Amino acid sequence: MKKSFIISAVATIALSSAAWAADGWGIKNEKITRTEAKVVDIACEVTGNCVANCGSGKRQLGLLFDNGKLVPVVKNNDPFAGATVDLISFCNKRIVADGLMISHPKMPIFQLQFKRAAPKGKPKGKWSGANWFGKEWEKANGKPGGEWFQHDKRVKAAIAKEGVLGVPGLKPPAQ
Amino acid sequence: MHKKLIAVAVALGIGVWGFAAEAATPKRVKVSGEIIDTWCYLTEIMFAEGSAHHKCAIWCAVGGVPVSIKGKDGKIYMVLRVEGDDTSVANPKIVSIQSHEVTVDGDLYVRDGVNYLLVNKVADDKGVINLTHKKHGVVPF
Repeated sequence: MKKSFIISAVATIALSSAAWAADGWGIKNEKITRTEAKVVDIACEVTGNCVANCGSGKRQLGLLFDNGKLVPVVKNNDPFAGATVDLISFCNKRIVADGLMISHPKMPIFQLQFKRAAPKGKPKGKWSGANWFGKEWEKANGKPGGEWFQHDKRVKAAIAKEGVLGVPGLKPPAQ
Repeated sequence: MHKKLIAVAVALGIGVWGFAAEAATPKRVKVSGEIIDTWCYLTEIMFAEGSAHHKCAIWCAVGGVPVSIKGKDGKIYMVLRVEGDDTSVANPKIVSIQSHEVTVDGDLYVRDGVNYLLVNKVADDKGVINLTHKKHGVVPF
């Protein structure tokens, strides 16, 4: 019941967002936000340790605003997935990011729902949904006949090693 | 005194706030705490600590959501590197220690309200010891 509710909620949010405008998720401290910023490799921006193409999808990415403020983009619109796949093609480029700015007291984060290129002095690009993780996963793994996270080999290997609870030999309670 | 500092900064052509950001240097730290899924923990969309949330934390780590350490000092440290591996998206080492209680040595950068941690060494790994499933079951399913 819980599972179908969560999956349905994510799907509903994705489908109802065809107008290229972010929806609220009812998260404390969230603010629906459409903003322009540059996509950057956080490690490069913070430490000066830079690599080609922002790490080609292997490094966490953030939004660097014109006032110098950096905010990590931690989530896209796919279930249980980050936003790197959606943002890597915009490495060191300006975009319009549409999503949720979550001003948690312990750290700010951004959840991306839509994005488009926003080169300075040029027309803005076309909107696309922030659901490219699922698309790329299916390209690499085929259509799973279910959710990606139930079929991913890396997930299966981790669960096989330590169990659902993370403690080898410990079984989850009946739910 | 404050006015003098600002005047000197302006004279040197340095924006006071800009200087603060650009002058960031790492601080060598030892952090103890639990490896967590940054998204689920901060948004509180579900209970997101310990054994109850381990499976979901694996999903999110493999899915590329940033992994953090919830320090015993109450701070959240977003991990950008683990033991010489500069990758931080679905990093196999990070996935392998998800939900574990660890002590790490690292370099800390603080910027715009975020603690970015480059882990140089996982000095201690106690595994999953926060057995929250007894109270919460398996979250979300």
